[in-house]
Amino acid sequence: MRVAKIAVVGDSTSVAGFRPLGFAVFTVEHAEEAREMWGRLSAGEYGVVFVTEPVYEAMEDLIAEVLDRPVPAVTVIPGAGSAGGMGEAKIRRAIERALGTSMLIREEEE
Amino acid sequence: MAKMCVNPNRMELLKLKRRGDVAKRGHKLLKDKFDELLKEFIARISANRKLRAEVEAELKAAYGLFAVARAEAGRAAITQALLAGAPIELLDTSEKSVMSVHVPIFEQLELAEPGGYSFSTLPVVLDEALARLAAVAPRMLELAEREKAIELLAAEIERTRRRVNALEYVLIPSIHETVKDIQMKLDEAERGNLTRLMKVKDIIAAQEAAGER
Repeated sequence: MRVAKIAVVGDSTSVAGFRPLGFAVFTVEHAEEAREMWGRLSAGEYGVVFVTEPVYEAMEDLIAEVLDRPVPAVTVIPGAGSAGGMGEAKIRRAIERALGTSMLIREEEE
Repeated sequence: MAKMCVNPNRMELLKLKRRGDVAKRGHKLLKDKFDELLKEFIARISANRKLRAEVEAELKAAYGLFAVARAEAGRAAITQALLAGAPIELLDTSEKSVMSVHVPIFEQLELAEPGGYSFSTLPVVLDEALARLAAVAPRMLELAEREKAIELLAAEIERTRRRVNALEYVLIPSIHETVKDIQMKLDEAERGNLTRLMKVKDIIAAQEAAGER
C-alpha cells in the first residue's frame, strides 16, 4: 500500500475543474509543453496520470516508455472539444501488441 | 532447421534427448499460460469498452456544465474560482498478481471539498459541475486501473507468445534434427564397425587356412 497523487494534464478549459477536488492539475497552452513536464509526471509521485487527447497525441512516444511499468497508469480522457476515440485507439494498440491483430476482438463483439 | 554443433556420441545424444523432453514440457506449460492470459485479456477488453464510453460521456457532460458556468459568470471569474485547492494524496496504490503479471490496484481516498470561491457571485451551475466531476472521479480511477492492467497483460502475452513460438518453431525442431543426425551417425559407425569385424574375421580365416595348408 502506498499513497500517491493523481495528475491531470490538459488545456485549462478541460482540466481546471479538477483542481478544487484535490487533483494535481497541469495546464498547458499547447500540447507540446506537456513533454517538458513528463519527467516530473513519471517519477513516481503520481499513481495515475490523466491526459487529454491532444496531450496524449503530442507525447505518445514518452508515454509508451512506461507502458510496461505498473505505475504510473496513463489514461486518456477526452478534452473539451476534442474528437474522441483516442483512448479506444490506445487499447486497440495493446490488443494488436498482444495478438498481432485487432481483428479478432472486433469480430467477437459484433 | 539448423542443426546444433555437437559431437555425435552417446553422451550428447542422451543429453539432447533430455533437453528435448524439458523443452516439450516447457512448451506445453507456456502454451497453457498463453491461453489463460488470452482468456483473461479478452474478458477485460469487452468490460473496459463499456466503462470507457460511460466515463467519456460523463466527463463531457461535466465539461458542458463548466461551459455554462463560464458563460454565466465570465471566463476570468471561473478560472479564478477554480484556482483554489492544492494537490493532495488521493490514491492508495497496491499490486495484485494476475497470472504472475503485477497489475496495480487503485483505491480512491477522499476527494477535497471544493470551496474557496464566493457563492454569491458565482453561478450555482459551477457547484453542479464540480459535483459531477467528483462523481465521475472514482470511475475514472477504475478505468485507469483496468486500462493499465490490459496494457500490462498485453505486454506479458506478447512475451509469452514469442517464447512459445521460439520453442515450437526453433528449439524443439532443432533438437529433433540433431538427435536424428546423431543417431544416424552412430548407426553408420556401428555398421562400419561390423563390416570391419567381418572383414578381419575373413582375413584371419584366410590366414589360418593358409597356415594349415
